[in-house]
Amino acid sequence: MTGAASNGGGGRARVAVTGIGVVSPLGIGREEMWRSASEGRSGAGLITLFDASDSPVRIACEAHGFDPSDFMDRRVARRMDRYAQFAVAAARMALADSGLAVDRDGEGIGAIIGNGGSGTISREEQHRVMLERGPDRVSPFAIPLSVANMGAGQVSMELGLRGPVTAVCTACAAGTDAIGTAVEAIRRGDARAMLAGGADSLISRYFVAGFDAMRVLSHRNDDPAGAARPFDRDRDGFLVGEAGAVLVLEPLEDARARGADVICEVAGYGASADAYHITDPDPSGVPQARAVSAAIQDAGLSPDQVDHVNAHGGASKPGDPAEVRVLQLALGEEAAARVTVSATKSMHGHCMGATGALEAAITALALREGVVPPTINLHEVDPACVGVDHVANASRRADMRAAMSTSFGLGGHNSALVLTRAEDGDRS
Amino acid sequence: MVVTGLGIVSPLGIGWEETWRAALAGRSGAGAITRFDASGLACRIACEVHGFEPEDFVDRRSARRMDRASQMAVAAGRLALDDAGLAITGDGARAGAVIATGNGGSESFEENHRALLERGAERSSPVMVPIMIVNMSAGHVSMQLGLRGPTTCVVTACASGNHAIADAVAAVQRGAADVMLAGGTEAGVTPFCMAGLDATRALSRRNDDPEGASRPYDSGRDGFVAAEGAGVLVLESLEHARDRGAQIVCELRGYGASADAYHLTDPEPSGRWQLAAMRQALATGGLAAEDVDYVNAHGTSTPAGDPVEVSAIRQLVGEERAPAVRVSSTKSMHGHGMGAAGGFETVLTALAIREGAIPPTINLGELDPACAGVDHVANEARRGPVRVALSNSFGFGGHNGVIALAAMEGG
Repeated sequence: MTGAASNGGGGRARVAVTGIGVVSPLGIGREEMWRSASEGRSGAGLITLFDASDSPVRIACEAHGFDPSDFMDRRVARRMDRYAQFAVAAARMALADSGLAVDRDGEGIGAIIGNGGSGTISREEQHRVMLERGPDRVSPFAIPLSVANMGAGQVSMELGLRGPVTAVCTACAAGTDAIGTAVEAIRRGDARAMLAGGADSLISRYFVAGFDAMRVLSHRNDDPAGAARPFDRDRDGFLVGEAGAVLVLEPLEDARARGADVICEVAGYGASADAYHITDPDPSGVPQARAVSAAIQDAGLSPDQVDHVNAHGGASKPGDPAEVRVLQLALGEEAAARVTVSATKSMHGHCMGATGALEAAITALALREGVVPPTINLHEVDPACVGVDHVANASRRADMRAAMSTSFGLGGHNSALVLTRAEDGDRS
Repeated sequence: MVVTGLGIVSPLGIGWEETWRAALAGRSGAGAITRFDASGLACRIACEVHGFEPEDFVDRRSARRMDRASQMAVAAGRLALDDAGLAITGDGARAGAVIATGNGGSESFEENHRALLERGAERSSPVMVPIMIVNMSAGHVSMQLGLRGPTTCVVTACASGNHAIADAVAAVQRGAADVMLAGGTEAGVTPFCMAGLDATRALSRRNDDPEGASRPYDSGRDGFVAAEGAGVLVLESLEHARDRGAQIVCELRGYGASADAYHLTDPEPSGRWQLAAMRQALATGGLAAEDVDYVNAHGTSTPAGDPVEVSAIRQLVGEERAPAVRVSSTKSMHGHGMGAAGGFETVLTALAIREGAIPPTINLGELDPACAGVDHVANEARRGPVRVALSNSFGFGGHNGVIALAAMEGG
């Protein structure tokens, strides 16, 4: 099970996606989430997770109906922040979906769960306890509840996984980098299967106030479902979302050998950094395009073979046009004009450290079903965002072979995944 | 893979030279907490970094938008690059960074959250989110040093630094970068982090004897001493290092990662999965257990943790050889750097190989019988060649990360 041993043979392993688990504003579980996404539903509404009545932003995309005790012991759940509960629930669903058996030792099966804002709900609560009632009233679980690695740690503990277990945290790109890093672990032979994705729940007083101070959130409080409108002329920012999304990854050969249903392959991963600004993307688009090109090259494809892109689409004034430029730079203007683009954040909101994983899950299902989910609320494309084939408001049937999911994170982290359709014989 | 540069900002000093001198002299970096008024806490001691001036490493304006964790990460990154004699030229697309942390911008979160509670949301600062999220140290290292290759942050509590090094090795080996900066940072000597760590009962409360408080393997140990700082290594392929005529510190041979899947804060008592990570680190490096002649142990000075690791080391090398394997926990001197621990300790392990000296476990007066069976380098540094060494880190949540380093053959 070591890199040295398995890489000796030359060709690297192809990596299959054999399971998907999600907790999201579009539903809990793969089927419900995909139905909502393909039907163009919005997961937005008024904030219920904290009293936002005095906040200038009172809307978000919450994962309604999530009950942790459906997925874990109630006692165990109490020792987890909401984000870690999402991670465990999504991982459990993904594992069940894949049919992969974890033996008693769980050796060689690992987990990489991306995260953006740590266990902020618990941290804010415990910090407040300390300020109001004194340091000796802080819970012994304050630190384990609030750190960013506990989504991964709890997945490992709950499912008995004892391979490499880490949290890759690159803000809004975390879910994408977690999947990319897990793909690498499988290619190197460091693990025989990986659960990879992201989990985040940042609909909290601190994060909503902080994002709003950055002027990145939509203020359309009277129209939550119409508030997230990437690429639209009237966009005014994103909605904070919360989610957990996990994919089961394993070598294609192993998936075939056990007769697993292969949803798609992860064929390429690319990452780069802007080294430009804390919050703003490099307006040239050059560093971001490098991540996109690296992923396409890693997949052994040419740019014109990419059929579809699930865009980052943060609905910011400068970000959305920059993203179209990135695709034009990476794919060439002609290929970019043909590529179908959707920003599913228009439906599920910006799920932060989970968003890349949720979008990769949607992209995997889009390839699988031959359906491109839409960018909703896209009534008038901003002239600065033209140049790609926007899939506006209604999903579209399409015969796709390769699709990308791109993520760009605060701090200048850029990452991209290329997914390819499973071969007919691998689907059951 | 080779290590070509070391940068460290630690309670033992700023820069590897000062840190190394203090480590060989067996000095403690612990003292009463000065970063905030700790009089209301049960634990009032820590290993702080004294004399750190962010403006020595970043301009004042940029420094103001960074948490102390990011300032120290940028400082360690810059020191490491200088030590490597490496200039990032052109667009920096072939150089990246993996900078770990345990908790991100702790002090900034606490200050901003307090302000939010006291003054309401309208007075919120636009930097309150970016200044505290865990990835921002990696982001600032990238921005300040012009690195535009893969730049990520990995978080595995107290094992973060070693997992960052492992991910950076992977990035070079898959051809995504020629050079990677890797390590970790932490600045968690803050009211909430200290109160929270103390509530887990993991901290030493030897407030009247800070320098004697961190005492791994000693019968009188009662917990760890929290530390702050950053440790960063420059990693590159041997070929790339040779082409540019770099001085090579040592080889980075292998890495191992596993999970206990056992308990939130306690290690799995048989040490089986720590052992699995050490074995994997040797296997990925083409090394055998009998090659190991030094282990820079995780050794946090907690009653439960120390014996488990010693047992895992004994299982790794076998009972016959175990008494000859030198083990030290430098946390006895620099404290527990948490997200920075792997960075600190892998830097010191690399120096042990290059300099031919093993820094000691200080405060080891009376060896706990449960920790016996290996050659503890107690209280005084030991001179002599080190060819193959492991740096162990194990984190809350059951994350195990091990790095295997070796002397450069023929060098």
